[in-house]
Amino acid sequence: MRTVSRSTSEPIALPAGILTDVLCPIFHRFRRRLLLGLTALLASDVLYLTLPRYLKIGVDELAQGIATRQRLLVLACGILLTAVVTGLLRYVWRTLLIGFSRHLETALRDRLISHVLSMDQTFFDRRPLGEIMAHASNDLSAVQLSFGLGLAAAADVAVMSVAAVLFMLHISPPLTLLAALPLPLLAVCSWFLSHELHRRFEQVQSQFGLLTEFARNTLVSIRLIKSCTREEQQMREFGQLGQDYVASNIRAAMIQGLLLPLALLTGSFGTLLVLHSGGTMVISQVISIGEFVAFITYFAMLAMPLATVGWATGLIRRGMTSLARICRLLTATSTVKASLHETAQPVIRQSRPHISLRRLSFSYPGTITPALSDMNVEIGPGILGISGRTGSGKSTLCRLLVRQYPVADGSYLFAGHDVNQIDPALIWRHVSWVDRNTSLFSASAAENISLAKPDAPLAEIMEAARLAAVHDEIMAMPDGYQTRLGEKGIRLSGGQKQRIAIARALLADRPILIIDDALSALDAETAQQVFAALRDRQRGKTLLLVSHHVQLLAHADHILLLDQGRIAEQGSHAQLMARSTYYQETASRQQGKEESGAQLRLF
Amino acid sequence: MRSFGYFEEGKTGRISDLRLWKRIFGLCRAWRAGIFWSSLFSLLAASAAVIQPQLLQRGIDLFITASGADAARLDGLFHIALLYGGTAAAAFAAGFGQVVMMEYVGQSVMHRLRSDLYRHLLSLDLAFFHAHPAGRLVTRLTNDIQSMNDMFSLVMVTLFNDLLRLAGVLVALYLTNVRLALLMTIFLPISLIITVFFSRIARDGFRAIRSQLAVVNAFLQEVLSLVGVIQIYGQEADSMAKFRELNGVYLERNLRLIRLFGAFMPLSEFLSSLAIAVILWYGGGETLQRHLTLGELTAFLTYMRLFFQPMQEIARKYSVVQSALASAERIFELLDISGSIIEPTVPIDGSRIRGEIRFAGVSFTYQQEDDGNGHLPEEGKSVLRDIDLHIQSGETIAITGPTGAGKSTLVSLLVRFYDPSAGRILLDGHDLREFAPQTLRRKIGLVLQDPLIEPDTVLANIRQDTGLTRSEVYQILVRTSLDAFVAKLPQGLDTRIGEGGLDLSAGEKQLIAFARVLCRNPAVLILDEATSSVDSEAEQLLEQALRSGFAGRTLLIIAHRLSTVRRANRIAVFAQGRLAELGSHEELLARQGLYAELAAADLRHGRPV
Repeated sequence: MRTVSRSTSEPIALPAGILTDVLCPIFHRFRRRLLLGLTALLASDVLYLTLPRYLKIGVDELAQGIATRQRLLVLACGILLTAVVTGLLRYVWRTLLIGFSRHLETALRDRLISHVLSMDQTFFDRRPLGEIMAHASNDLSAVQLSFGLGLAAAADVAVMSVAAVLFMLHISPPLTLLAALPLPLLAVCSWFLSHELHRRFEQVQSQFGLLTEFARNTLVSIRLIKSCTREEQQMREFGQLGQDYVASNIRAAMIQGLLLPLALLTGSFGTLLVLHSGGTMVISQVISIGEFVAFITYFAMLAMPLATVGWATGLIRRGMTSLARICRLLTATSTVKASLHETAQPVIRQSRPHISLRRLSFSYPGTITPALSDMNVEIGPGILGISGRTGSGKSTLCRLLVRQYPVADGSYLFAGHDVNQIDPALIWRHVSWVDRNTSLFSASAAENISLAKPDAPLAEIMEAARLAAVHDEIMAMPDGYQTRLGEKGIRLSGGQKQRIAIARALLADRPILIIDDALSALDAETAQQVFAALRDRQRGKTLLLVSHHVQLLAHADHILLLDQGRIAEQGSHAQLMARSTYYQETASRQQGKEESGAQLRLF
Repeated sequence: MRSFGYFEEGKTGRISDLRLWKRIFGLCRAWRAGIFWSSLFSLLAASAAVIQPQLLQRGIDLFITASGADAARLDGLFHIALLYGGTAAAAFAAGFGQVVMMEYVGQSVMHRLRSDLYRHLLSLDLAFFHAHPAGRLVTRLTNDIQSMNDMFSLVMVTLFNDLLRLAGVLVALYLTNVRLALLMTIFLPISLIITVFFSRIARDGFRAIRSQLAVVNAFLQEVLSLVGVIQIYGQEADSMAKFRELNGVYLERNLRLIRLFGAFMPLSEFLSSLAIAVILWYGGGETLQRHLTLGELTAFLTYMRLFFQPMQEIARKYSVVQSALASAERIFELLDISGSIIEPTVPIDGSRIRGEIRFAGVSFTYQQEDDGNGHLPEEGKSVLRDIDLHIQSGETIAITGPTGAGKSTLVSLLVRFYDPSAGRILLDGHDLREFAPQTLRRKIGLVLQDPLIEPDTVLANIRQDTGLTRSEVYQILVRTSLDAFVAKLPQGLDTRIGEGGLDLSAGEKQLIAFARVLCRNPAVLILDEATSSVDSEAEQLLEQALRSGFAGRTLLIIAHRLSTVRRANRIAVFAQGRLAELGSHEELLARQGLYAELAAADLRHGRPV
């Protein structure tokens, strides 16, 4: 038994080391694209800022009465030319910079997945599948947005506002100071607001998560809900969750509703100051009317991008939080590999590696009660049976043998080497393992069986399927071995899944085969038949069978009975029949011999 | 939005589908007051935006550049400034009010739709759930509704505002100078054509991206859930290569869309520059001929920004509307499915059911699984054929037979997860269809081979809808000796189990499922392979509980292990959907038929019966 603790999404500090380690190579790879994109961005902004100059010249000349139609046409053409060049430059920076963010996303996703694929079970126990999926989709798209639109907007704002302020200063420094008065206030307000908005959005998201989980649980256990007539109760709870979700959304909307109007308000307030003070200055002939109009134009140019500051910072901040989450995932290490010593990798020379467990004890990470204690086992060629009550540690033992969890130094020797000195991949190459939870891919039946040997000929695949007693059923499927399995293909029964997984293990043909309760969904006859095939195939090699079924265990050379993580009893079938009451009881119960045992006579 | 691993392949809605719009507006009717206020706020905000440049213009024309006493001009300017401040404050308040109001309306509508859909789903029968994977239904309830909501908050708010502002600007332009305004109006259709043309291309781009994202995520989800198998068979590199390929396609499709947007955005900005050039050239000419004042010319130039912004917004939000409509279509489609289990108008009172069951000529055929593309499911293979079977009240009957004989289907029919395709099932002489399904399910207890455990406490998992108190549950556990098992759990009845909680073994789960049924006090109990994957100790506990908790009730035991079966009063042997043999263990052995064969097979494998 074990508990799985769910990690919560607490705020995370950005680890600088990993950040540079993750980002720098990607930035370096795309440095030319970035440089060119930024240059184009700068150039297009500067060009854009020259547009009002044409207007100013035109208006001034019209006011002074020196303009002609021809002169106006020239100016209009100037505007058009500038617009065409600006447009081209914009196309260039958009495709380059936003394109970069997509490249970044792709590279990060590749790296994330390849990292996760190398993790051990400890890692997956701590993180539900949905969480990793959320990293790979939502977090990555937040990162992409912040490095794409977010950064582009930020760069845009920076260039535009600096240039606009310079133009304004050129006209009148005091008026500039006055007009700019509300702007820092806007920056501060939108900073705080977008911070608060972010917090409230997080709440919305977690509410959405609860809602989704609840809906999923309902639909997955629809049989239970219907057979226990819980529809009304479920509906009430779902309605309540929905209400909470609505409330959290409205709380977020309160802030969001403030952001843009606030930016507009600040802009208006600035314009108002310019109108009043600038107008006064014109009246008292401090500045000219032309300067006044130009000033207002530039102020509008400054205010518009500033309105997006809040949005852009929000985007970037969200992206950084997501990036930190991704980085945290990338820094997680496989505990199995972490214990690897830096010494030279040994070579496994035994063709039939021998396994020794020496005083092996183990507790699942985050738990205190040991799942296994003080196990001493030698596993060589032959059949080793393992049985015991539920929760006695049988599956845990299998999981340790296939290196899903870390073990202490010296407690697990594989072919004479401490496993902590061997790359787990090297051990995997010698072991096949069929779990109680069957594991099929949504691929064809043939691909599912030939997982370990993707280039195995069909005849060999069929042979394995025949041995696992599933060949006839596959042939009866619409496309035979090419039939797609899984959610989008044919759904199989538990027994069919188990037999396909066994066919896969048989085809892999490895020196050590672990069958962890994987015959449980088969009827007695099929189980016997498949087990006979397994025995035959594994002759001279190692076969480890976890089972409750005494008639299967009877074929084992040696049987371990586990109880509360310890070996309670061991020996051959005959010895256990003589010695162990538990084993006897199980056997007699399964063989239905105890008709006179009135206590259990029920039916 | 977080999507929790469920992804929908691309599908787009048709904006011109009036039927869809009608239904959406029908949903909104209850909140029309909110919509009215929101529109009013929107109108206010748009008016303020249009009036502000006018005020500016007046300030310049009437006071700043006008001749007269400085004091009067300053005074007038101050007034204009005050008015300007007033419009700014009004715009602020209206903008805020509109966003919050629209969010309220949108969320309320979506909440109702979500509740309706949830209620509807719960009322559907299992044949429906057999045909629709849970993941897809979850998407309907969450992501699809969310995407409809996006339409409310994003589109209704911003798009509506923009269009209002556009109308306001047009009015202002026409009031100033009709000829120049007409010239500007030409830009509207041009801009609209470009926008629609572009949006059409973008729509396909978005769809391609979404469907590829679904592929990437589906692949990822599978790889992650099977990482142990991938590792042990050394397929990490292979999986990674496949993933890189899918991811690369996704990147390529995104880049294509970026190039498209990269071309469109500057194009629409160029259009706005073109308009400015035209105003300067043509409007300037008009000014030369004294048809237009300099102030009016500046006003035109100022309005240009307000003029083109809505166009860009439409292009940006077009895809949001489309995916919202596609979501709406999917949701409505689901709402329109009606279950095949029909509740009787006057259901029979089920409080005194004794538990006598009769199958009369029952046949059943499963519908084939929906392939997700809306094709009609094909007729499936028949699983049960012409079953006649009479079970006495209080009898213990075993049902056995090879895998696929239709044993479990029989059970599903009994609790009305499905209705038979032909024939009738009678409970105490009444057709099952005369009972409300809920009554039936309260009276027939079901324990399955793989019991469902919900992520909740042990108590909640046992109690279900019975409303029993903690001590009542405990008493039942004590009476059936299951209390010892519960006492062994870390927090007893309050131990959290299921996903994210304590991981129970198959046997322990079965004990919980058993306690669950005990609390419901059913008249008929069905054990569907309930003990087949349970260890001996748990089995013993179960038998004990059964003996003390269910004596004298009708009991159906479904099993393929003959040792379990043989102790029943009678045994029904099923083969290929038919009732092949019926009788006691001894009778069936004597008959030398299928049962005898199965028994012999068991015997051969060292399992004497």
